[in-house]
Amino acid sequence: MSGSKPDILWSPHHPDRYVICDSELGLYRIGPLGGAETKAGTLPLSEETAATLLAINSDTPYMKCVAWYPKHEPECLLAVGQANGRVVLTSLGQSHNSTCKDLVGKEIVPKHARQCNTLAWNPVDSNLLAAGLDKHRADFSVLIWDISSKFSPETSVASEKIRLSSVDLDSSSVLTKPLYELGQNDACLSLCWRLRDPKLLLAGMHRNLAIFDLRNTSQKTFVNTKAIQGVTVDPHFPDRVASFFEGQVAIWDLRKFEKPVLTLTEQPKPLTKVAWCPTRTGLLATLTRDSNIIRLYDMQHTPTPIGDETEPTIIERSVQPCESQIGSFAWHPSSQNRMVVVSAANRVMTDFTVFERISLAWSSTTSLMWACGRHLYDCAEDGTEGLENAIEKDIATKMRERALSRYGHDTVHVWRNHLLAGGNDPQLKSLWYDLYYILLSHMKQCAEDTELKLQGNKQSVVYSGIKNIVKTSSGTTESHKCWSGSDRQTDVTRYHSEERCLALRLCGWISRGPEIDVDVFLRSLELEKEWERAAAVALFNLDIRRAIQILNKGATAEKGDLNLNVVAMALSGYTDDKLSLWREMCSSLRLQLKNPYLCVMFAFLTSEPGSYDGVLYESSVAVRDRVAFACMFLSDAQLTRYIDKLANELKDMGNLEGILLTGLSKDGVDLMESYVDHTGDVQTASFCMLKGSSVDVLKDPRVQCWIENYRNLLDAWSFWHKRAEFDIHRGKLDPSSKPLAQVYVSCNFCGKSISYSCSPMPHQGRGFSQYGVSGSPTKSKVTSCPGCRKPLPRCALCLMNMGTPVSNCPGTGRSEEKMDLSRENKLAQFNNWFTWCHNCRHGGHAGHMLSWFRDHTECPVSACTCKCMQLDTTGNLVPSDSS
Amino acid sequence: MNSFKISVFTVWDKDENGEWHCTASWKTHSGSVWRVTWAHPEFGQVLASCSFDRTAAVWEEIVGESNDKQRGLSHWIKRTTLVDSRTSVTDVKFAPKHMGLMLTTCSADGVVRIYEAPDVMNLSQWSLQHEISCKLSCSCISWNPSSSRAHPPMFAVGSDDSNVSYGGKVQIYEYNENTRKYAKAETLMTVTDAVHDIAFAPNLGRSVHVLAIATKDVRIFKLVPMRRDSTSTGPTKFEVQIMAQFDNHNSQVWRVSWNITSTLLASSGDDGCVRLWKANYMDNWKCTGILKGDGSPLTSSSGPPMAMSTVVGSSVQMPQNSLNGMSAGRIGKRASFAPPVRQLGSSKIYQHPAHY
Repeated sequence: MSGSKPDILWSPHHPDRYVICDSELGLYRIGPLGGAETKAGTLPLSEETAATLLAINSDTPYMKCVAWYPKHEPECLLAVGQANGRVVLTSLGQSHNSTCKDLVGKEIVPKHARQCNTLAWNPVDSNLLAAGLDKHRADFSVLIWDISSKFSPETSVASEKIRLSSVDLDSSSVLTKPLYELGQNDACLSLCWRLRDPKLLLAGMHRNLAIFDLRNTSQKTFVNTKAIQGVTVDPHFPDRVASFFEGQVAIWDLRKFEKPVLTLTEQPKPLTKVAWCPTRTGLLATLTRDSNIIRLYDMQHTPTPIGDETEPTIIERSVQPCESQIGSFAWHPSSQNRMVVVSAANRVMTDFTVFERISLAWSSTTSLMWACGRHLYDCAEDGTEGLENAIEKDIATKMRERALSRYGHDTVHVWRNHLLAGGNDPQLKSLWYDLYYILLSHMKQCAEDTELKLQGNKQSVVYSGIKNIVKTSSGTTESHKCWSGSDRQTDVTRYHSEERCLALRLCGWISRGPEIDVDVFLRSLELEKEWERAAAVALFNLDIRRAIQILNKGATAEKGDLNLNVVAMALSGYTDDKLSLWREMCSSLRLQLKNPYLCVMFAFLTSEPGSYDGVLYESSVAVRDRVAFACMFLSDAQLTRYIDKLANELKDMGNLEGILLTGLSKDGVDLMESYVDHTGDVQTASFCMLKGSSVDVLKDPRVQCWIENYRNLLDAWSFWHKRAEFDIHRGKLDPSSKPLAQVYVSCNFCGKSISYSCSPMPHQGRGFSQYGVSGSPTKSKVTSCPGCRKPLPRCALCLMNMGTPVSNCPGTGRSEEKMDLSRENKLAQFNNWFTWCHNCRHGGHAGHMLSWFRDHTECPVSACTCKCMQLDTTGNLVPSDSS
Repeated sequence: MNSFKISVFTVWDKDENGEWHCTASWKTHSGSVWRVTWAHPEFGQVLASCSFDRTAAVWEEIVGESNDKQRGLSHWIKRTTLVDSRTSVTDVKFAPKHMGLMLTTCSADGVVRIYEAPDVMNLSQWSLQHEISCKLSCSCISWNPSSSRAHPPMFAVGSDDSNVSYGGKVQIYEYNENTRKYAKAETLMTVTDAVHDIAFAPNLGRSVHVLAIATKDVRIFKLVPMRRDSTSTGPTKFEVQIMAQFDNHNSQVWRVSWNITSTLLASSGDDGCVRLWKANYMDNWKCTGILKGDGSPLTSSSGPPMAMSTVVGSSVQMPQNSLNGMSAGRIGKRASFAPPVRQLGSSKIYQHPAHY
């Protein structure tokens, strides 16, 4: 150790104090950054911590090594070894109590002056201090001093006296006689006490590693090696010792001392410090000269069951605590894997924690758990809502919330499902309205078909989307309509056909009949305060006056935008003169309008007949409005081309608005696939595709896959009730998915099913009439097999024969209405149900069994030790969605 | 070398109040346990672990053997020990449940072994079905979770071999119906550094596979199966696209984990941070959160707003011998995605978000 090379020592008792020694001793206190920030003289160590300099001691020149007194009292006593071999006990600031006073300033002087290389306090007999010195002829190099020895008679001396008389101090506190003298004719480079065995001292001598036993000083155990520097005992395994030489670390086992059990890979540069981590087993940190990384060796030991290759594997790791070159480091004695690092120059300090490798896992409920050190952390998605910049929730959380709000289950007002989904997703809104209009048109068509007694192969056309509808379009008629409510003469060409009408219906613009009457639609838009959109729709229907009215209404309405009046004024100035100033200004200024609907209004007014690209390719306008517009103003060829192009675009993007064009066809599944690929929202995909159950999309393996995945999701969230509801919902729409009966109870004697509900047997006609389907079915029950009239087994608790409730025969024609499990329609009260243990086959009435197992763990049948209720661990779990 | 390090397992259960309790803790392997994983709850409460001691083990929870129920403790018994490996077993994973009860291990000598329990009621019977040599020391394995019939069984193996010149460190194997063997379908040649963890994203009905890789950085790959004609019998060809690559950890990345919908990825690195990644609608991945390993939010840097909030448990000092233990948590026990976590930890934690 050169004088300028810094070293760090942690206080053995204060977890927040450490000493840096280079040319002087500096005592620091480490604290949180925030508190210390205001004070001058604090040095930031990391993002959170800072150090405050408490005291400086520069009394001892030529410091070579330092050791901190391990006892509580005196608390800040340091032994400093000097270049001339003297060891000085010194203190840093504070503590003016007498015991400390006695020790501070004490000097230990060896017989011959030579460099003191190392110092070590005995961890148990704390008055013993070992000093390792350079070689001096035949003198001893390991000296063990008892700092209290010379001292004891003088404890009676009044402390004042010592303080006043410096001469007295000098004479009384010089210690010249060591307690033990070891290592004759040798040099000592490093020392370390055995932790559990305080009589044993490990010493790195000139060319060997020696163990001295204070009980028998004549004897020493030693092994010849070069690795004699920095001897240090693993605090977790007292038999494990590390030492180094140049760039090589040797690990020793004191029980097999002949050779190192392990040598760590050689470093190109000589090592300067090796230290075991006090808080983690088997972690060794090493530092080489002129380096800014600390190398960590994690030793994983294994007594392998096979063979003798007991070489431990080592995980090597490098950490870089700071940018500059590291002078020294010291592990914190108690904080996990924490160390303070001091730079080689300028005494720049860094508080640094070596992080354990963190393993982590997500739970199904979007909470993340990870393990760091000896702690587990759980992190949940932020539930705070209403914040302006709140980040969009993850789809997993969204789906969970939607599942809880019965999203997808509203089969009557299909469009309401987007409200159940939260009502803030324009794509979902569009999707559910699409499905609503599709179902509406489908129902209407069915009604018409039955009126006309048609066997409809046209039935599924509404499901195939506008794209297919307009393709089949035939008999398109053109009409020239002029602007109503305006004195303009120009005609606008509009196209009509039955299919286009249907398309407009699917877009939601018109509700019924072949006549295009958007009035209902406009009024509903006004109700929802979508003024701009309403005005645009009115304008597209060539009713410029209505559009102006709507805008006026919007401007005067509560929270209305007064600018709408300005827009209305601009509209009213419409002229079809191609060279007018109005037209010129409108076509240039319209691009500055923020609202896309206002923008397309002027685009429409200023466009040439037949080329409406400004409207059709304005992507902020809802797809349904653009498509409806196209259906009115594009010729057949143009329309097909436009719709195809738009559909493909939306399909690639996975935009659900495209379902309007593709319908629930194969194309629709492709689009949905793209949507699922992007978002993972199998919930919407499942519910949406179930709506198209009347067509073949449900048979698509992709659709089945989404449905399966959604069911698995619900299960993973423990939403078993929701899953069951979903299955019921699915069963209604897709009868092929109904599961078969899973359990049959058959009679012990005749082997026939005791359930009345199963395939009615001919000879049971009498039974049926006897126990009557009519009347109150829950009350009538029989206690014998309906087949052979033999009694049914007895309940293990009440010892009565169990009875079969007479069922309503689901499975016959009118079962559908009875399927909803309202309380009255249940076949029997749950308490009356059969139940039995699959293990011991004992059982009884479900109610009795439940109440028995509330207080007992074993089966109620005598001499049966089956723990029926505990066999299935899953059965004890509570679903997360039970209400 | 001389001391017997005992690896302790801990299983944490979460009760109705969201509190975690340690319900079991037992000695498992004679070496460090590298990984632990849950089987699908359909097969019961089953864990598998792998260790440096060259074995993998399957554990099953037994309830009702004593009145431990009152103390909230359960019994875990070892059903089998798989001793085929001659070197450290570095990863263990159950195959997707639709394939039945299958367990895969990979070991440091580069062998992937696939075991099957033909009788799911008898977890002590495992037969070695496949033994695949990957040539490189294996560090991690991940099954493609897709249950779609369009996707044959597939897994990816990562190697921690640090020699860059050995080429791609991630190999993808696929089952071939005709030969009834697993064959290499793809090697990600761009990943040449040591791979520490690998994770297929939960497929959730998607048509593409997404793979996250922890190497010196976080990488996310997309594997698009090429539509192949029915006549070809070779392995599926994939179009491999890299979707994202982040070196924000600025050090080796240690673990990656997907959430249930594979919309969020968490990664941990040697910088002691957990980072969260999320893709927007256009498949642009970006960081949505950084958490320090000790749960404190990263104070410096004008990082992105946090999507997550942490609630940190109190510290529990664990006995020394459990330092290298493993623990596994489960939520409502049913969670098929229950989190296996490494290292011991503290109980407590968790606050319910407002929407619960």
